[in-house]
Amino acid sequence: MYQQNLKMGQRAAQAVLALLLGAGCFLSLLPWGRALTRSAFLLPALISASEPAPLVVAGDPVRFRRVTISSTNGPVFLDIYEPTTPPPLIPGGREAIIDVVGVGDNRHVPQLVNLSRSFAHEGIVVVNVSTPTLFQYKVSARDGEAVVQAFELLERWPGVDPHRIGIIAFSAGVTPACVGAADPRIRDRVAFLAVFGGYFDATSLLGTIGRRAQVIDGHTQPWQPDSTPLYALVSTVSSLLSPTDNKLLRKAFPVNKIGPPLTAQQQAQLSPDATAIYHLLKGDEPGNVDRNLTVLSPQMKALLIQVSPVSVIDQIRAPIQLLHDRNDPSIPFTQSQKFAAALARIHHPYDFAAYSIFSHVEIQSNLGLEKLLSEGTKLFQALYRILLVGS
Amino acid sequence: MLMLSLFWLLVGLLIGILANAAKLRSAWVRGGSVGMLGLGALVALLGGWLGTLLLGTLFATATAIWITVLGVALLPWPLTWCNAWLRSRSSPTP
Repeated sequence: MYQQNLKMGQRAAQAVLALLLGAGCFLSLLPWGRALTRSAFLLPALISASEPAPLVVAGDPVRFRRVTISSTNGPVFLDIYEPTTPPPLIPGGREAIIDVVGVGDNRHVPQLVNLSRSFAHEGIVVVNVSTPTLFQYKVSARDGEAVVQAFELLERWPGVDPHRIGIIAFSAGVTPACVGAADPRIRDRVAFLAVFGGYFDATSLLGTIGRRAQVIDGHTQPWQPDSTPLYALVSTVSSLLSPTDNKLLRKAFPVNKIGPPLTAQQQAQLSPDATAIYHLLKGDEPGNVDRNLTVLSPQMKALLIQVSPVSVIDQIRAPIQLLHDRNDPSIPFTQSQKFAAALARIHHPYDFAAYSIFSHVEIQSNLGLEKLLSEGTKLFQALYRILLVGS
Repeated sequence: MLMLSLFWLLVGLLIGILANAAKLRSAWVRGGSVGMLGLGALVALLGGWLGTLLLGTLFATATAIWITVLGVALLPWPLTWCNAWLRSRSSPTP
């Protein structure tokens, strides 16, 4: 009996050693294994919104620097997070990620800093792109130039493999990111484009805001936007409005809070364009949304198309990943559904994942274990696809 | 790197224990089972540093693990042979 137990223990130890040999080889020698290792380190960093000790100990030390470059559309502010160590011999060059964050100055948002540092700990060079236009809560297709400039800079960056540069767009960063990814100068070399909580069509976004409802899988659900998209839309169309229109609309839709409705006298001072925009953003005429969209001037309609990814989708070559929270209060989930449907129509490679652990693009705190397990798996898959590029 | 190096030594010791349990040890050194732990720790440390050089620190532990398993499985035989050869050289000829 003792001999038999001894033999079983020996066999078990041999099996464990064989397993360790296989797992070790897979996780270090094969690109899929390396991407899996990276995802396993990165997922806790995202979910906990902090840098976990194993990642800090096992990962590369990180250096931060802020660089300003110039483009035809003005200065471009780049926050660069990069490993301080030389790139490893295998695979030779580092992956690089261009983050295009949304409107406002998000450079110091803790979760963005944490994400950037975590990627850099994993040996990836991260560049967060900002522009004066985005700082002013404006969305402009011309900011695509900033993405092109950042991409071309990274192609020359020491240690970066020019074939492993991807773009991640957050929220309203989707416009510069898509316009940049569609630019003929770089579009054939963009490794991937990931869009997190972005919109697809500004006109239909305005329609959803006006109705205060979105249709998901055939069911109409109430949807209440927060103040940021309202302020950003006013800022974006401000160049086509008179000073009076701008003054009144900014009063009705201030930054970071819901403003009081305009009085009848104030509404009477608005131009037809501004009146339609006001009712769409205020959501006080949900039955008149189509009419309010129709009365917009041709210039306004053209601008809304210009700032929408729909206008450049057929010129993007990179595979696209769409990530969106089902209860996103800033950009309705249906925008990513429309994006995915359009990509499917033109047979563009894409992947679409819906979540319920984010508040717009930031992870919620105090998530339950069950939710973490189910949503964490989906997030892990998305990370794996992003990290496979550089593995 | 000090923390990682200590961790790899620990991993090597654990793999050495497993190798002893798996009866991978032969009569290659005096005090065999302790020698196997030492071999595991040494190979894990070297494997970790090699992994860092080739693949980066993030994959160094995985590299250390498979190199150590290979080391404790394969190295005892050449070591036994070396040991026997050294003994035969040092023993007085009749």
